[in-house]
Amino acid sequence: MRKRLQERLSRVSIPASTLGEIAQELASAVKPSDFRYTVPATVDEAVSLLSREGGAGKVLAGGQSLVPLMNLRLAAPTLLVDLNRNPDLQFVRDRDDVLSIGSMTRHHEVATNALVAKRLGLLAHAASLIGYPAIRNRGTLGGSLAHADPAAEMPLVALTLDAELVAVGPGGRRTIPAAEFFGGFFTTALEPAEVLTEIHFQIGGTTEPWAFKEHARKTGDFAVAAVAATATLGGGRVQRLRVGIAGTSDRPIRAGELEQMLTGRPLSEAREALSDGTVRKTIAAQGAGDARYDRWEVAGVLTERALAVVLAHSGGGA
Amino acid sequence: MTDTHMIEAEVNGKRRKLAAPSRKLLSDFIREDLGLTGTHVGCEHGVCGACTILLDGRPVRSCLMFAPQADGARIETIESLAQDGDDLHPVQRAFWEHHGLQCGFCTPGMVLTAKAFLEEVPHPTEAQIRAAISGNVCRCTGYVFIVEAIQAAGKTMADGARTRE
Amino acid sequence: MNKPTVDLADAVARPRLLGAAIKRREDPKFLTGRARYVDDLQLPRMLHASFVRSPMAHADIVSVDVSAAAARMGVHAVFTGADIAASAKPFVCDSLHPSWQSAGYPPVASERVRFVGEAVAVVVADDRYLAEDAGELVSVRYAERPVVASIAAAVAEGAPKVHDSWTDNLYVKRHFREGDPDAAFANAHGVVRLDLNTHRQAGIPLETRGCVADYDSRDQLLTVWTSSQTPHLVRTGLADTLQIPEHRIRVVAPDVGGGFGIKCHLFPEEVVVAVLAMKTHRPVKWIEDRQEHFLASIHSREHQHHVELAYAEDGMVIGLRAKIYVDCGAYSMWPWTSTMDTGMALGILPGPYQIRNYECEAYSVATNKCPHGAYRGVARPAACFSIERGMDEVAHRVGISRVEVRRRNLVQPEQFPYESVTGLIYDSGSFVESLDRVCEMGDYKAMLEEQKKARAEGRWVGIGIACYTEQTAHATQEFVQRYVPIVPGFEAALVRMDPSGFVTVHMSTHSHGQGHETTMAQLVADKLTLPVENVRVVLGDTAATPYGHGTFASRSAVLGGGACVQAASKLRDKLIRFAAEHLESDPGDLELVDGRVVVKGAPTRGISISEMARWAYHRPEKLPAGMEPSLEAVAAYDAPPGLGTFANAAHLALIEVDPDLGKIELLRYVVVEDCGQMINPLIVKGQVHGGVAQGIGGALLEELIYDDQGQLTTSTFMDYLLPGSTDIPNIEVGHLESPSPFTVEGIKGMGEGGTIAPGPALASALADALSPLGHVEVNELPLTAERVRWIMRKARAASQA
Repeated sequence: MRKRLQERLSRVSIPASTLGEIAQELASAVKPSDFRYTVPATVDEAVSLLSREGGAGKVLAGGQSLVPLMNLRLAAPTLLVDLNRNPDLQFVRDRDDVLSIGSMTRHHEVATNALVAKRLGLLAHAASLIGYPAIRNRGTLGGSLAHADPAAEMPLVALTLDAELVAVGPGGRRTIPAAEFFGGFFTTALEPAEVLTEIHFQIGGTTEPWAFKEHARKTGDFAVAAVAATATLGGGRVQRLRVGIAGTSDRPIRAGELEQMLTGRPLSEAREALSDGTVRKTIAAQGAGDARYDRWEVAGVLTERALAVVLAHSGGGA
Repeated sequence: MTDTHMIEAEVNGKRRKLAAPSRKLLSDFIREDLGLTGTHVGCEHGVCGACTILLDGRPVRSCLMFAPQADGARIETIESLAQDGDDLHPVQRAFWEHHGLQCGFCTPGMVLTAKAFLEEVPHPTEAQIRAAISGNVCRCTGYVFIVEAIQAAGKTMADGARTRE
Repeated sequence: MNKPTVDLADAVARPRLLGAAIKRREDPKFLTGRARYVDDLQLPRMLHASFVRSPMAHADIVSVDVSAAAARMGVHAVFTGADIAASAKPFVCDSLHPSWQSAGYPPVASERVRFVGEAVAVVVADDRYLAEDAGELVSVRYAERPVVASIAAAVAEGAPKVHDSWTDNLYVKRHFREGDPDAAFANAHGVVRLDLNTHRQAGIPLETRGCVADYDSRDQLLTVWTSSQTPHLVRTGLADTLQIPEHRIRVVAPDVGGGFGIKCHLFPEEVVVAVLAMKTHRPVKWIEDRQEHFLASIHSREHQHHVELAYAEDGMVIGLRAKIYVDCGAYSMWPWTSTMDTGMALGILPGPYQIRNYECEAYSVATNKCPHGAYRGVARPAACFSIERGMDEVAHRVGISRVEVRRRNLVQPEQFPYESVTGLIYDSGSFVESLDRVCEMGDYKAMLEEQKKARAEGRWVGIGIACYTEQTAHATQEFVQRYVPIVPGFEAALVRMDPSGFVTVHMSTHSHGQGHETTMAQLVADKLTLPVENVRVVLGDTAATPYGHGTFASRSAVLGGGACVQAASKLRDKLIRFAAEHLESDPGDLELVDGRVVVKGAPTRGISISEMARWAYHRPEKLPAGMEPSLEAVAAYDAPPGLGTFANAAHLALIEVDPDLGKIELLRYVVVEDCGQMINPLIVKGQVHGGVAQGIGGALLEELIYDDQGQLTTSTFMDYLLPGSTDIPNIEVGHLESPSPFTVEGIKGMGEGGTIAPGPALASALADALSPLGHVEVNELPLTAERVRWIMRKARAASQA
């Protein structure tokens, strides 16, 4: 199934989000192909069901991205493994400077959970921007990450915050850094029988300033581009800067050049890079020659706006 | 052989038990098997919001769920509210009084979304109302009277809650 | 003509319901989920159809293999184009214009496909899921042909032809000339030249199309339930294509989940589903899915205008020249033909302005795209965009304000009724007053102040303005001039009082959101002085309503309402003559008051309508000699002079543009509209809101994009964006009432109006907001953020150069 989808997606000239471009190749359809539906009692059972299906099975998380694809018959898994009834995958825990969130935690919960709001405002805010209220009531953090839409909010935040994704598969449990997780349009490092179980976010002793800026054509629509940024400021300097961009490429990316350029710099210099347009140009320059150059320009603007928020913090204390 | 499942759910306050194939969309199950045609289908890819129902009290897209997923759930459709013009829910009444509907196709999803929202946020601002219904497309009204209706319904519901206390 | 037989018009006391903002009587069924749309219909033994559609924009069909699909469990039949052709003729919708080139639209293609989404086969199965499974197994081999996917490609030298037998890709070539445009241009102080584009969009009702057909072989009666604005026209279309007499066809359009013009055509699927029901001897349902709706229903709005305005030193426009191209897609839609948009644009381009010298060429272009047809506003959004952009440009050149240039050029109050340069009779209106009022209501001066302040803060704020007049309720004369094969000149109503004295109104028009179950009852109840609750309105069923054309072109309040009023007046006259006998009075001395016929000046001397109703049916011996028993009257109404009655409005917008992202935020949107005598101001306001919202969607978000191979790249709601609650501001609406001197009760149409002006108003506002970059031309719609970024990039480059 994934292969079929990838084949179609590889021919698309703009990211994800534009199912029409893909769907037009098919006979018009709006009811899914037939499949078997199972509700495993445990993650291990889910894994074994998926491995027996040999790649043609699929986890059913919130279904807010998968089901539209199935209705349009762009995806046709033969088996759905429904994790919605597994309470062990819905949690938010704070332990040893790591915030762990169960993969089946719904966006609405991520957006409104007090612990997330306190420790990971960036994640909570980004979750509140996903789709519409009814979508957030069903959609899940793990589902969004595994779906890997290059314009989506959760993959961007996971990458920017260097999250670690825990997956359980036939070979046991492994942890995948977000930087290695996203492999392209709707493609991840997950093996066909692997199930995402939880996501770990490192949280330091302090709360870093953060910003999330996205430009969508309208509320609830996929972002044309989105930028997440967070910084550690101290001693009048940018001690650490993390900037992630979604929408410009086949997967979320980190603005490595910009991060390097500003890390270690005095705050005044970093702010100057904002006001003289260097920040914006640095990002836009990455898209030179790209057919989607316009998106890079948008990303440049959003980066500038995100950093303006982040760098507005005093940077005096921590 | 089609994979079928028994679904036992509380639908509009009543226990219902019916079988459905795995792939049957919950929206189709509600309309065809439960006979509740007040739930409408406008896009079947989760954008328009016409098929919105309340699942365990929260608005969801019934076109983005399969019928077997509703097993054990509590479902409320538009038919769970008043069944005639005399006993309307405050949200229904406000939509009527403020001309919050024209062709009526988005109305059930819109009313349910508004009801759940007002139960959660009793004194909303206009911006909150607009955000709450941002996933329910209305092609007829331009939303102006819908927003007015939800504001009015919010007042009625809050007053009602105060009276009961 | 349509006068009641005895003039008893003053026999009814002052109307109590005309103009009353009563809440809609149809609402409870919608609010409780008990409305009945086509898809809610479940018939015993019903089968389900799914269409297999072409992925090619232009190709010959080499072969269609349905064997694998037909062999699937649960599949009853699979039909190809050839199978359907044996039972249904292609529908041919020819204009009577001499330059017309004809082509039939086969219900299912058998030899050639001409757009992506055209049906090539249809599957009938036990349910829709199984039908779609089988559809995937239908194997069609195509031989590709060169594709024509734009106006430019279609009119290019040596362009491939969409229809082989044609001489070029033009359905029709029209030319109009009036006054002395050459002299006007020669004497002009200056000339504005603009090339304007409005891109493809569609009405996108939330309920897709759909139909159910059932054939009763015992009575030889075909019943088709379809989501349509025009059930009678669909019946005629079915009769013509299936070659069945109309009296053997019943078409029912139950509750309709939005139409917006899309659902006033005859569609291939309606014909095919009827054939399937007859062939399988089972009821068959087909509900269009959203992608099909995008690919293969009706698109609209794709206009290219090249206009030139000659103006005098004072900003008066003294001459207008235009070349109009409309991308009409692959086929001419029944019954309006592919001349609809071109003809309308040609006729209304001069707009509400006193332009006396005008020349226009207009072309309907065939391309390998979905057929182009009606969508709320038909051609006027594009025509208004052109003339309004022109007016802004003239104001800029002459150095007067955008308000002033309009005030000077608008038809002035004392000029009504005004015959436009294209022969339209602007019956009455408040062109200047609506402009002044919108500036008052919106506080234009305060907006200018706010803009000044905002600019000082580096915010990009703009004010936009646009005026229009909307031709509504056009009847016989207009449609004759349009060369259409079917002239929908009238609407009809049957008003029937039952023995209990209650009334049922059976109407040829339909309602799909406009609230006719309320407004038509208001009109009839007034004429009979009954409570509105005593009047029930029946719509949408050809077996229950008199023949008429349906609801489209902002006509129902005028033509349907006019028919209602005239039928009710006939009934009223009969009641009065009936009562005169019993009250021993002259009919002229009687009047209706609160459901009684009484002697004028002696209200205790009277007789109740309900008593007479009993007598009319059960005590016919009490009827005056020669009076027919029963109480019903029918009327058909063609509003004079048949060219329509003209509503008008002025729109004022205040926007802020994100200078980096190009996103337009609407700070305020103010409308002052005039649709003559209002029947129900609440409903009028709702129609304005809805129209403006569609206009804003069309101005900012909505765009159907084809690539150069004719592939539609926007076939889901993730690509084609409809405005949501956060995209539409709190639209402010003010009303003026200039009754039409020609129509019943002075009513004008108004349903489409709101959609017309948001495009030009917002383009005007954008150009204004971007004025720090210099004089920016905004000549394309929609103004998506991406397009605005492009406009700004271009403007910045120009200002640097």
